[in-house]
Amino acid sequence: MAQVELKDVSKRYGSVEVIRDLNLMVEAGSFTVLVGPSGCGKSTLLRMVAGLETISGGILEIAGTRANDLDPVARGVAMVFQNYALYPHMTVARNIGFALKIAGLDKAEVESRVREAADVLQIEHLLDRKPANLSGGQRQRVAIGRAIVRDPQVFLFDEPLSNLDAELRVSMRVELARLHQKLKATMLYVTHDQTEAMTLADKIVVMRDGRIEQTGTPEQLYSDPDNVFVAGFIGSPRMNFLSGEASQGLVHLAQGVTLPCPSTLSGPVSVGIRPEHMTPRGGRAHSLPVTIDMIEYLGGTRYLYGRLANETPVAIEARDNTGIRAGEQIDVTFDNHSVMLFDASGKRIRSAAPIPS
Amino acid sequence: MTGRAPKWIIIVVGFVGCLWIVPIIGIVATSLQTTDSIARGWWHFGENTFSLQAWRTVWQTYPLAGSLWVSAKITLAATILTMVTAPAAAYTFHYLRFPLRRLWLIIIINAFVLPQQVVIIPLFQLWRDVGLLDNMGAVIIPFVGLSYAWAVFLVKSFLEDFPKELIEAARIDGCGPIRTFTQVVLPNLISPIAACGILQFLWCWNTLLLPMLFLRSDISLTVLLARIAGTYDPNLDQQAVAAIVTAVIPLCIFLLFQKQFAAGNRVSSGGKE
Repeated sequence: MAQVELKDVSKRYGSVEVIRDLNLMVEAGSFTVLVGPSGCGKSTLLRMVAGLETISGGILEIAGTRANDLDPVARGVAMVFQNYALYPHMTVARNIGFALKIAGLDKAEVESRVREAADVLQIEHLLDRKPANLSGGQRQRVAIGRAIVRDPQVFLFDEPLSNLDAELRVSMRVELARLHQKLKATMLYVTHDQTEAMTLADKIVVMRDGRIEQTGTPEQLYSDPDNVFVAGFIGSPRMNFLSGEASQGLVHLAQGVTLPCPSTLSGPVSVGIRPEHMTPRGGRAHSLPVTIDMIEYLGGTRYLYGRLANETPVAIEARDNTGIRAGEQIDVTFDNHSVMLFDASGKRIRSAAPIPS
Repeated sequence: MTGRAPKWIIIVVGFVGCLWIVPIIGIVATSLQTTDSIARGWWHFGENTFSLQAWRTVWQTYPLAGSLWVSAKITLAATILTMVTAPAAAYTFHYLRFPLRRLWLIIIINAFVLPQQVVIIPLFQLWRDVGLLDNMGAVIIPFVGLSYAWAVFLVKSFLEDFPKELIEAARIDGCGPIRTFTQVVLPNLISPIAACGILQFLWCWNTLLLPMLFLRSDISLTVLLARIAGTYDPNLDQQAVAAIVTAVIPLCIFLLFQKQFAAGNRVSSGGKE
């Protein structure tokens, strides 16, 4: 168990800078998830920590020592790859024990540690099989086994669940969380799936274009995002953004609805409202006319997808059967307290006092 | 769709197949008939007389067993050297970074366009100066050297599809370049290495020019065959014997290892494709 610290780290390929002066602290024993759209540099960052990519600038410290130029083994990291990267010519037992064999441990020691790892992951019965004869979930377990057998300082996961089918992904997610509780090891996990990030992480790092947009617990990012990007990225269905104009302490939405805002604010703003804070009920103040296009029924809840008069798409969460059908026009109200304001550049406007309703 | 092929395909393919076998039947028949019968045409099976005379003559007059041994030694040495070193070279060029990597690769692959005939004179002078003439090394070294052009190319193009994650996983597991090669890459290169081996074996076995020029006392089978054909006698029967003896080994090799050509030649890192 060790902490990982990145200080002003950057990565350049020729003249293209994919990561810029990035600072990040991964606390010892934490489960930190790097999340962001594809191409945001999250995998590159993970590979730099692993030692598979060189670091163009800045300092990487693992357990307090500079690790920029260390070999992956000397860094004490283990990595689980998206495609599992199991050696096809070796049995499961040899796959798991390979790193120990390379490290020069004697046969009995390797065997007992492989058994131990297999026991944790409940794959003892697969030890004599080749990877080709395993299912996707079993391969994933073997890949994880290969990492835990080394008892590394830091676990690195590069989108490990994205090759699994939906059901297996959910159950492996639970298992990974359980594994983290059991091992109490530092884990750095990359995914583009915000649900995975929300369910697994102690701390989420949202990245875009080689920069960190915001760092925080899942709750912080969900309820208190710093900008439009984080607000839109975290949460599913994503937050609704309505455009408005601020002047003299009021935001005028295009639909003729007004909202109170700090009196210093003026100019175009974006109003963010989460689907669960919108209610399909008319007849009250601030009601917006929405034409419903589609209804997604998920059992306990249902999502109504529609659009405003100006074609802005809107998603609304409804707990109970509202009897609303696709094609209908309804009035939608929202809770003033849960509205978030963003300025034209996308930055969150936090009012000192709660907005009076 | 049923698993059965339509009848007309079987007939056409069968006919073409038979046509292809005719020369082989002819050469076997020729080796087993007397000179008079051959003059009449080997296909007159009813009138022709059969004898093992040609086989006996060739076995007694020419050092067939010795040549077989020489050919086997040269071919095996050249084949094994290529099978061992070409994958190592391909791995080096594909995964390791070193100065002038691209230039070296281009030079090696360019030997592709170099006909064997071009190298024989400078090589002859070189071997004469170092005293390697009439030594099997004089043949084995150019055999291996010339094979790199296609062997390195063949293995390297196979490595293009080799999963990068396996190499990275090996690095994370603590392997240096050599261990990565021997423990992770090599065991998954069986089919291209087998392909190199078969091609190199056939090529070395069938080559006439280099052994004829550089070897005096050790005569390879192809050179022997050329000698049998070189006399003025109408000894078609003996030539047929020599041709069969020369061809039968590569045929066996091909039959034994043909599976390696067909076997799945992709390495997977375990993901669902």
